[in-house]
Amino acid sequence: MKILIVDDSSTMRRIIINTLSRIGYTDVVEGENGKSGLEKLGQGGVEMIITDWNMPEMDGLEFVKTVRGQNPVIPILMVTTNAAKEDIVEALQAGVNNYVVKPFTPETLKEKIESLLG
Amino acid sequence: MDQSEIDALLAGGGKSTKKPKAATKPPAGAPDPAPPPVRSTVASEPHKDGSGHVISELDTVTSVTERETNKVLDQLDEISRLVARQQKLVTDMMGQEGAQNAGVQQAIHEVMSASKEIQDKVFEAMDLMQFQDITRQKLERIVYHLRQIHDYIVDLLGTGVKSDAERPSISHTIAQTGTTPDENKAHADAVIEAFKTQKKG
Repeated sequence: MKILIVDDSSTMRRIIINTLSRIGYTDVVEGENGKSGLEKLGQGGVEMIITDWNMPEMDGLEFVKTVRGQNPVIPILMVTTNAAKEDIVEALQAGVNNYVVKPFTPETLKEKIESLLG
Repeated sequence: MDQSEIDALLAGGGKSTKKPKAATKPPAGAPDPAPPPVRSTVASEPHKDGSGHVISELDTVTSVTERETNKVLDQLDEISRLVARQQKLVTDMMGQEGAQNAGVQQAIHEVMSASKEIQDKVFEAMDLMQFQDITRQKLERIVYHLRQIHDYIVDLLGTGVKSDAERPSISHTIAQTGTTPDENKAHADAVIEAFKTQKKG
């Protein structure tokens, strides 16, 4: 399964990739903002997206809305520092399937990924 | 004495450029001294990218901490790789003659158990590095507000250069410092559940 990780923090991308590899997902592509995320998605093969919210050029919310315009079914997990209830609701309305607030534990990420794929 | 003062002292052949006494720590019980004056260059000479010195400093802090955190992650990756190699060597050793001896078996078991513990601690340390991204976003929020103040002053005085650099969108709602990952999860899950229930109904 190929997973696209979109986050402007190289540190956070590494942490997510590391967590994914520990739970058996090693086929990963990376984007550093929504714009590059769309490029990577356009190259094909991506079966799931993990995206941050706050990024330069194109933020995660705009990215999710654009993706949903093209693909209504691909599972999208948002992993962000935005913790307010209104933010979570806004992201769900934009089309994310699940939501994780940073900092997270590997168990949480695993649980969310499995619930999206199950 | 900071480095610039030391440099000036050395360049001046020993002539001190020490700050006036008023800048030193007051005796206990004395009223708080006035904050040190802001150097005029900070307010009147914006950097060539249009931002102030403080903003530029904060940007540097975020990029340096990201770079240094990646170096720590490199080291943790290396430890993880070495531990995996050690585990493989021990596993290979188990096939050797004499490895079935009870004492050897016990030692191998202990080495493998310690290796697993090290590996778990390495993963835990990697996960803790999330603090860098969270701190970065908190600084981004400070930079955002400083830029607004900077631009307001530029408008007010009719002089200077407004900030125009492309910035990431900022988080206005970062979870409070000290909030645990479990608390974050419980909060997000409750909102998601309520959203789903409302959607169904």
